[in-house]
Amino acid sequence: MATASELSPTRTELIRLRRREALAKTGHDLLEEKMDALVMELFSVLRRMQELRASAFDQLERAHRALSSCFAAMGTQETVQAARETVKSVELEVSTRNLMGIVLPVIERPSAVRNALGRGYSMHGTSALLDRAALEFEKALELLVPLAVAEAEAFAIAEELESTKRRVNALEYILIPRLREAIKFIMMRLDEIERENFSRLKRIKKIMEEREWTRSA
Amino acid sequence: MRLKVAVIGDRSTVTGMSLAGVQIAHVHSDRESTMDRLRELVSSGDVGLIVITHRVAEELGEELRSLMRSKGVFPVLVRIPDSTGYLPKRDELSERLRRVVGAEIKVTG
Repeated sequence: MATASELSPTRTELIRLRRREALAKTGHDLLEEKMDALVMELFSVLRRMQELRASAFDQLERAHRALSSCFAAMGTQETVQAARETVKSVELEVSTRNLMGIVLPVIERPSAVRNALGRGYSMHGTSALLDRAALEFEKALELLVPLAVAEAEAFAIAEELESTKRRVNALEYILIPRLREAIKFIMMRLDEIERENFSRLKRIKKIMEEREWTRSA
Repeated sequence: MRLKVAVIGDRSTVTGMSLAGVQIAHVHSDRESTMDRLRELVSSGDVGLIVITHRVAEELGEELRSLMRSKGVFPVLVRIPDSTGYLPKRDELSERLRRVVGAEIKVTG
């Protein structure tokens, strides 16, 4: 942005600056609308997240309780061993979606819950408590996936909101005021030139009238 | 695209998640090895979700945050309470929201 001293006080420059100001204002309004939309989106995600978090963490607590009774009944080593032998089959079907230019993750809720035979650890020497713990953790895992997605969304939207806010502020407090300043400067300069010209013309008229008078006298 | 799940945390959390069928598991012992593992998981490109306990995430602190900033959309990270139910008073999300919105937003479980 040119400082006042570098500006050439011409009509063309004035028109150019006024156009830029109008454009900056339009941009500002659009960004502000985007910000409003983002805030609404953020709040709906946060509400969803809160519910998901409550249910996932509840389930996780249940799972840990089941696991600790399993540790107690079967022994820690045996439980860990069974966990090692478990079939690790959980896979996530993932993709992305676009929300106002923000890329967000999409993960389908996996079906983690299996029956005891499907888990793959030996049925021999493992207790029903182990089945129970595995089931509770499978349920917890299913709930964690949508929670993770909601948290990632909240983060991404908050980030976008932050950068949009910065841009709105830059327009509102830096660019637009500077353009206004420049427009004001040029208008005052042009008025001054106008006044100078006016008095110059007056002076010339007077001189010419004097000459006319002396000639006719 | 089909991606895997990874879990990082204390022994109980890792054992439980392994029982649930999570493929990649890492029991946290020291920062160094856990960060190495995380970097490996992020760059491998076949992990869709990393489940980490709040306690470990807190210990890794800024290093984890900057790793998460540098990644793409995946893997998604989710912080969970460990077997003791540990939840930090301030979490990162509400911290950031406070900065953005300029007001405290309560996001509790």
